Amino acid sequence: MLSALILLPLLGSALIAFLPTKIEAKQTRLIALVVSVSVLVLNIVLGWRFNPELDQFQFSEYIPWVEWLGLNYHLGIDGLSLPLVFLNSLLTFIAVFSSSKSLRRPRFYYSMLLLLSAGAAGAFLAQDLLLFFLFYELEIIPLYFLIAIWGGQKRGYAAMKFLLYTTFSGILVLASFLGLVWLTGAESFDYEPLRSHSLSVTSQLLLLTPLLIGIFIKIPIFPFHTWLPDAHVEASTPISVLLAGVLLKLGTYALLRFAVGLFLEGWVVLAPWMAILAAISALYGASCAIAQKDMKKVVAYSSIAHMAYILLAASATTRLSISAAVFQMVSHGLISALLFLLVGVVYEKTGTRDVDSLRGLLNPEKGLPITGSLMILGAMASSGIPGMIGFISEFLVFRGSFPIFPVPTLFCLVGTGLTAVYFLLVINRVFFGRLTEKLSQLPPVRWTELVPAFVLTVLIVTFGLQPSWVVHWSEVQAVALLTGG
Amino acid sequence: MTDFLLHTIWIIPLYGLLGAILTLPWSLGIIRQTGPRPAAYVNLLMTLLAFIHGTVVFNSIWTQPTQQLVFHWLKVADLDLTLAIELSPVSLGALELVSGISLLAQLYALGYMEKDWSLARFYGLMGFFEAALGGIALSDSLLLSYALLEMLTLSTYLLVGFWYAQPLVVTAARDAFLTKRVGDIILLMGLVALSSYGAGLNFSQLEAWAKTSPLPPLTSALLGLALIAGPTGKCAQFPLNLWLDEAMEGPNPAGIMRNSIVVSAGAYVLIKLQPVFTLSSISADALIILGTVTAIGTSLMAIAQIDIKRTLSHSTSAYLGLVFIAVGLGQVDIAFLLLFAHAIAKALLFMSAGSVILTTSNQNITEMGGLWSRMPATTVAFVVGGAGLVALMPMGMFWTFQRWFNGSWEVDWWLLEILLFVNALSALNITRVFRLVFLGKPQMKTRRAPEVPWPMALPMVSLTVVALLAPLAPIKWSLWLSPTTPLVLGNELIIRSAVPLLLVSGALGCLIGAGIPLRRAWARPTQVTWRFFQDLFAYDFYVDRLYQLTVVAAVSWLAKFTSWIDRYVVDGLVNLVSLATIFSGNALKYNVSGQSQFYLLTILLGVSLLLWSVLNGQWSIMTDYWSSIATQ
Amino acid sequence: MVNTATKPKHYQSLLIDEYIHKLEAGEALLKDSPENVLEVVGILKSYGVVLDAYSVNLCYIADHQFLVLFPFFKYFNGEVNFNKLLRYWWHDRINYEYAEYCMKTMFWHGGGGLDRYLDSPEFLAVVEQVIRAKFKYNPLMLGLHAIFKDFLPEQMRQMAYYSGLGQFWRVMSDIFLSLSDRYERGEIKSISQVVQHILDGLVAAANKPITYKVMVRGQTYELIPKKAGLTFLTDTAVPYVEAIFFRGTPFPGTVSYNAQAYQIPYDQAVFNYGALYADPLPIGSAGIPPTLLMQDMRHFLPQYLLDFYRQGIRGEGDLRVKICQSFQKSMFCVTTAAIKGLAPYPLDTKDPQQQQANRTYLKGWLKRLVESQLTAVNS
Repeated sequence: MLSALILLPLLGSALIAFLPTKIEAKQTRLIALVVSVSVLVLNIVLGWRFNPELDQFQFSEYIPWVEWLGLNYHLGIDGLSLPLVFLNSLLTFIAVFSSSKSLRRPRFYYSMLLLLSAGAAGAFLAQDLLLFFLFYELEIIPLYFLIAIWGGQKRGYAAMKFLLYTTFSGILVLASFLGLVWLTGAESFDYEPLRSHSLSVTSQLLLLTPLLIGIFIKIPIFPFHTWLPDAHVEASTPISVLLAGVLLKLGTYALLRFAVGLFLEGWVVLAPWMAILAAISALYGASCAIAQKDMKKVVAYSSIAHMAYILLAASATTRLSISAAVFQMVSHGLISALLFLLVGVVYEKTGTRDVDSLRGLLNPEKGLPITGSLMILGAMASSGIPGMIGFISEFLVFRGSFPIFPVPTLFCLVGTGLTAVYFLLVINRVFFGRLTEKLSQLPPVRWTELVPAFVLTVLIVTFGLQPSWVVHWSEVQAVALLTGG
Repeated sequence: MTDFLLHTIWIIPLYGLLGAILTLPWSLGIIRQTGPRPAAYVNLLMTLLAFIHGTVVFNSIWTQPTQQLVFHWLKVADLDLTLAIELSPVSLGALELVSGISLLAQLYALGYMEKDWSLARFYGLMGFFEAALGGIALSDSLLLSYALLEMLTLSTYLLVGFWYAQPLVVTAARDAFLTKRVGDIILLMGLVALSSYGAGLNFSQLEAWAKTSPLPPLTSALLGLALIAGPTGKCAQFPLNLWLDEAMEGPNPAGIMRNSIVVSAGAYVLIKLQPVFTLSSISADALIILGTVTAIGTSLMAIAQIDIKRTLSHSTSAYLGLVFIAVGLGQVDIAFLLLFAHAIAKALLFMSAGSVILTTSNQNITEMGGLWSRMPATTVAFVVGGAGLVALMPMGMFWTFQRWFNGSWEVDWWLLEILLFVNALSALNITRVFRLVFLGKPQMKTRRAPEVPWPMALPMVSLTVVALLAPLAPIKWSLWLSPTTPLVLGNELIIRSAVPLLLVSGALGCLIGAGIPLRRAWARPTQVTWRFFQDLFAYDFYVDRLYQLTVVAAVSWLAKFTSWIDRYVVDGLVNLVSLATIFSGNALKYNVSGQSQFYLLTILLGVSLLLWSVLNGQWSIMTDYWSSIATQ
Repeated sequence: MVNTATKPKHYQSLLIDEYIHKLEAGEALLKDSPENVLEVVGILKSYGVVLDAYSVNLCYIADHQFLVLFPFFKYFNGEVNFNKLLRYWWHDRINYEYAEYCMKTMFWHGGGGLDRYLDSPEFLAVVEQVIRAKFKYNPLMLGLHAIFKDFLPEQMRQMAYYSGLGQFWRVMSDIFLSLSDRYERGEIKSISQVVQHILDGLVAAANKPITYKVMVRGQTYELIPKKAGLTFLTDTAVPYVEAIFFRGTPFPGTVSYNAQAYQIPYDQAVFNYGALYADPLPIGSAGIPPTLLMQDMRHFLPQYLLDFYRQGIRGEGDLRVKICQSFQKSMFCVTTAAIKGLAPYPLDTKDPQQQQANRTYLKGWLKRLVESQLTAVNS
């Protein structure tokens, strides 16, 4: 069952890669769409059969693999990974759906897109540290190509920067994993057995440091974040959606699964500093976002700010805060995907994302009124207006962290306040006011182009009103994560 | 039947929400061939239903004990978030006021907005507005109230931003949102803290918790201040008062709601939070100080305004300042009466102002005059509204003040002085505006001024009747909240002299208002000091410019600074440290050089080597596994 | 938008001279091109249909709904049945609100003989009789009338404007519809022919009397008798052009009413919010009343014009903006006709003295027009 989540996109990717050249972009997209929909359906079935009351991995699959290396093909799913796997398949579908119908080199594109999705799914499902690392690295390659080939003007620079940073991150993560196995003397990289080994706090800290730096690059946390705005700005819209929605979550997932899960004592020692770092990162991201003139950069920096809340919640290590961290991942995944999609629509229709040259796009006849309205909604969700998922996820993060780290939490709350500032600066500038002459001949937005945005909007509102539908998946697991093997 | 209606009371806010949702086909432009008026009718119908439902329940609640409906919203770990609503004469009365004024305002909008093709969006927002307000009226949970206050912030933003293409609206909507948001975020901090300190978030739980709270003084003081911040923004109190002035750029029917019941919603939450403020004397003092500063400052601002809506909106802040003082003193019954009397009177005044604006296509009172004989409904509404606001005639505000000083409450001279001041200036302001707008000779823009059509006149006349009946509330039910009647403290001098003094202050204000030379469009005070004060008040003590130079400048400077640091220091440094050691900086040049391709090749090579070594000789296991699954 | 106001003065005067030259040469303000003819005639056809409906309704309200406090069915033209009621509730109807908006704007700005007559004792005397008759058995209203003396007379003044504008639009509607008929017969080929047609229509109706009488309890009251001497051209057309084409009222969707922002001038005479000045781009947005007119016209567009509009990148998506742009073009043709009709001498005169007088006259118009959308529609 779980392997299918990885293999299906993998096979789809291979199939598309070897399609005859005469197949048109449209048909290739259709095939990719079919694959991503079936993965999504599979995921829903999985969610249906998943038992959230159990505090262990479910649907485990285990094949001994490279025994001398201690690497096994071991998959499993729990409340921590389930929401993320689901997010991955949903956003993959949305990314395929919102990809342009007339791409250059479509076979390569969709093949890479599905490979990316397979890699992310594999990483979320892997119950073996080395296997996780393999998938973690695997996902870099397609993303590199996706940025480097279908990106904007400075795509080469951005893709290379992304590649270097994340590879470096991978090396650090790998080093930490290897060190762990070496220090504990475990015979394999299997996750569960490793959890039950106990290490001295000093050696935990020794291993935790490279792991954390690796993870911070991925999330990203200040000061390792600078690859992200560049990558987002240069990536095409569907890729930005996946990057923000899924790939950054690999970092926070690793944070919870490995940093907290394997090195709890060491993590608790570092936690006060981590909470401060989270607050700095949140305020820093928000502050940078205010000064940006590129709409996509605003959303990218907002991503940095909102991902920092997960670090805050992780440092608090209360049952509530860990559940909240998972919830915040889902929330950020949905909201940032929506915002990137909408910025993408604006860019596609107007040819610019520059806040100073856009004006009055709410104009109902000649502007992009529905896009604008959804953008307002997305910005409000991101600012934490109740009734949408952003509020309750952030509230739980803050409520979970406040008893442990009151001051950093309050600073993060200020960051939440600033969210409204930078988004309203953009929205009131871009969508309000009189449409300029230059923008008076924009092509219309078709309803189908907005379908993904509507889907995300519905989810954002639904989960905002019924948060328990998300939270209860991960609640038990949050406890398990904190109680040790 | 009544019982059923009582237990489904939580549906009432949903009527408005449903109405809002039903406007979508028009506001999203799905229906384009025909016009948007059905959306308006649907919303009117929904509000009418809400009003009827509320009325039935309101009539039956008097015989029933206070009840609570609790809804378990979310339970995570040790946190149990419940949303509770309260069924009591107070909450249902507030709900009635909300749906009543909303109904009138929406009917009014049918006339006021008849030329606006975005009618559907307007009604959708009004429905949303009404839903949030109704929810606040019923809510017995701080979390729910907070959530709804945020909804109000959002809908205020959208309503002020209704005419989004108009340049001043662009900034007004933004400022309204952000100013309120400042208060909201601080309130959220308080909420998070309260919840963390183990208080349940229902108001009744909070009250119980406050009695046994073990908090250190500093914490409880900060907590109190944080909880005050939210209502301060909502009620347009200093220092978060300027948004209300700017919000006057929005359509007037929304202004009717905003100046009467929306600002009251913030104060309503404040009243419900009052037990928490007893924890620390600092929060109570802060309430009194904020209220006093606002009441005095905005009263002065009001008398210098020349815009008809702004003359009234600043006075809203002033009266809400009195509410703050009352809550700070712990006299919540009086706070309630103040809110009620003010809401009715102010709604009426705004209706009257709206019909003047529509008829004369103008908001500048110095360009008006002589409307009274041609616009009876408008004139009467203004007079009655003004009388309801000023303690001179035996109307709402007079009886409220009278109840405040009838000896049941602990009052002091300073309080009386503030009341006298606010009352006198309010009387002066109303008289001045009345003279400028309705009396005197018609000017060019008021030369042809037929009375407004029935959709506006009818709600105006109805509310006039309500305002005339409003004094019944303070006379008959002056103690809504206190379980026991406060003791009558006797016959002190202040008790004996308060009412006469108030009457004198009102009369004095009217006399000055009637006597001062009126400023017409072409006239400016010649004396330098007068002009200085007039400008100082008219431009709100230049507080907005002060903010511009301090908070706004600081944030924008910080943003630019961080952004610069980000670009040149952090990016450069991290690039340097992490990569320069491995590869030369050339790899990061914008053009992809041969070097970076070489680098990519090594990575690919490395990963494939790793994969190969891993998979070498292991294929059989994979195929075995899959074939075993296949044969099952 | 090209902001002509900021352009140097001499550029403006050059522009004025250019247009004077054009007008003297028999051209119109709008430049002649086959597309312009198609747009102008097509939109005037649709406008003619809408104006017909407006005119009928305005006259109906003036004649039958005066001094009615709750005129629930004022847009029904006397025919109330359930089907029509449902249709109106669904807002599937002409937006008569726009006609009333124009009437109120015209009433508010005043000017012309009609405005003057409404303040005359003769008019007020008849109004008093009408009020007495109408509220004969309604002491409440009579009591109100005794206190607020101008309330009901002001309503009747407004009714007179309802009637006046209704009569004016009756003539205009006929002119525009016959223009369309002639176009379809192939008789209209250029913009100057369009202008000539409108001018002929205006001249023919110039002295048509404007009257207003109502019937109460079987008795007729002549509120504006024929002997008041009000005529079509000088007492409705000219004030109409001034109030609707030039001045207008500021749209809340684009102009702030905030008194302290001083965006709206004190003097109504310098208002420039009228049809010739209005910015077409925000049509359809909130707070832009002419959207109602454009919406009404979209239902009656001739097929050839609809096909023309569909060629744009948005097809029918931005129809109302395009309608407004065409409408402005057509209004410049009407303005040209009005300028020609009111000129002291024929514009093609060769007499230098007459030419001189003409030029002074034309300069007066063009000084105001040069800041309108004139340059935009011709660019």
